[in-house]
Amino acid sequence: MTAIDRKRSAGGPVAPVLMVRVWDLPIRLFHWILVGSVATALITGLIAPEWWKGVHAAAGYLVVLLLVFRLVWGVFGGEYSRVASFAYSPRQVLQHLRGLLLLRPPHYIGHNPAGAVMIFALLAVLTGLAATGLIELGGEEKQGPLAGVVGYALGNSVKPVHKLLAFTLIGMAALHVAGVLVESVVTRASLILAMITGWKPIAASLPAPEPRSARPIAAALALAVIALPAAAVLAALSRFPPTGLPILPADPTYAQECGACHRPFHPSLLPRASWAALMAALDDHFGEDAGLPAAEAQQIGAYLQTYAAEAWDTEAARRFAVTSPDQPLRITETPYWRRKHAQIDPAVFARTAIGARSNCGACHRDADSGRFDDQAINIPGGNGS
Amino acid sequence: MNKAFQLPLLAAAVVFLTAAAVANPAREAILAALATQAKAADPTFTAFSSERGAAFWNADHTGGNPELPSCTSCHTKDPTAEGKTRAGKAIAPMAVSQKADRFTDQEKVTKWFDRSCKNVLGRVCTPIEEGDIITYLSGK
Repeated sequence: MTAIDRKRSAGGPVAPVLMVRVWDLPIRLFHWILVGSVATALITGLIAPEWWKGVHAAAGYLVVLLLVFRLVWGVFGGEYSRVASFAYSPRQVLQHLRGLLLLRPPHYIGHNPAGAVMIFALLAVLTGLAATGLIELGGEEKQGPLAGVVGYALGNSVKPVHKLLAFTLIGMAALHVAGVLVESVVTRASLILAMITGWKPIAASLPAPEPRSARPIAAALALAVIALPAAAVLAALSRFPPTGLPILPADPTYAQECGACHRPFHPSLLPRASWAALMAALDDHFGEDAGLPAAEAQQIGAYLQTYAAEAWDTEAARRFAVTSPDQPLRITETPYWRRKHAQIDPAVFARTAIGARSNCGACHRDADSGRFDDQAINIPGGNGS
Repeated sequence: MNKAFQLPLLAAAVVFLTAAAVANPAREAILAALATQAKAADPTFTAFSSERGAAFWNADHTGGNPELPSCTSCHTKDPTAEGKTRAGKAIAPMAVSQKADRFTDQEKVTKWFDRSCKNVLGRVCTPIEEGDIITYLSGK
């Protein structure tokens, strides 16, 4: 292995330089796929419109897979991929940082101590992001493996943590890149090139231990050992139906009478008190007479009371349960509705295919289910921004 | 069948079907009831008028929702075209030629005249107004 792993560089300028194979192919692939998935997750989570939520979740799942691989490769990978090879003592870390400040840092073949601290921190933050992301996805969106076990309240409560970790990650990634550049300049060896080719030039005088080889078969076995119980847990979780998402029976009277003038809104979109007040004043229904025979009004009223927001644990139901103090009957006046649609040009609502703010299903393709998944948004004619 | 009979039979069938589309018995009954009420309210009443119906349909009224001054606010000037509610929901054409079961269900007719007249005029329509509109839309 030594012959392949080390080759004399073609003429070092001063000291003799050895090319060392520091990063094996799996760890390089891990690194760059992680860069890609984290970038995708950050862009789709912070910048892209809501309907990229599916891509965001996919990037998150990829990060989870990469983290599992990294742990296994940290045990069975090549010398410099192994966690044990860069688990430095705090004293070594401080020594390295002091050396950096004096621009005379001790040289290392693999991760240097400051870099190693960053690696552990990055892995911890990514684990935290994956965990909070899955809880948010399950609780708020009723999607993913935790949809059946996490409620809206928990999913919503980790939202600020997920966001904080995301911004922390951006800061750490910037520090990581800055560290790489500083180290590259100070040691006159491009760490970026090393992460691409796997080879890193080091001073021949630097004592290099005999590198341990990767054990891919052991790593594959370990991955299988992890994958089997993980699959069993996922299968068990998938047996739970999403929490707080009851099956809404169709009510032909509701669909016909209310649907004659407008989309028959999902009953979860207003709380019981609002539906009761609305049904009590049908003769002045948002400026129009929508009077109904008593029997039909009673039937529709009972249906709405049974399936009002209080009966659901979806994001839409929990959010729209907080109505506007001035206009408690208007879904489109709830603070959440206004906030979520504030960026949309009024002209978008006037488009032929939409026609009115209350035409939820024109853009939310799953409006009739009450789910209002971010991925199901499709604004006819584009979002106009 | 003898060829000599085919053309007259066909013509008769066309005439009969056309007449059936216009003169639906249920719609005739609704119109007859409205005519009785109209006569009771106004002894000088003779017949419903498609022209009066057209004028009423296209006129701007007051007293109702200012956003809905006319029948055409939702139903458009062309009764054979689809209309649209304020909430953006399509309304099937009101013209009988486009939707043969228009004005054949007494309950539906009463419910929608009550609602729409209150929305546009702020009051219920008179039997004459309702009969005129049905007559106008039956010919469209």
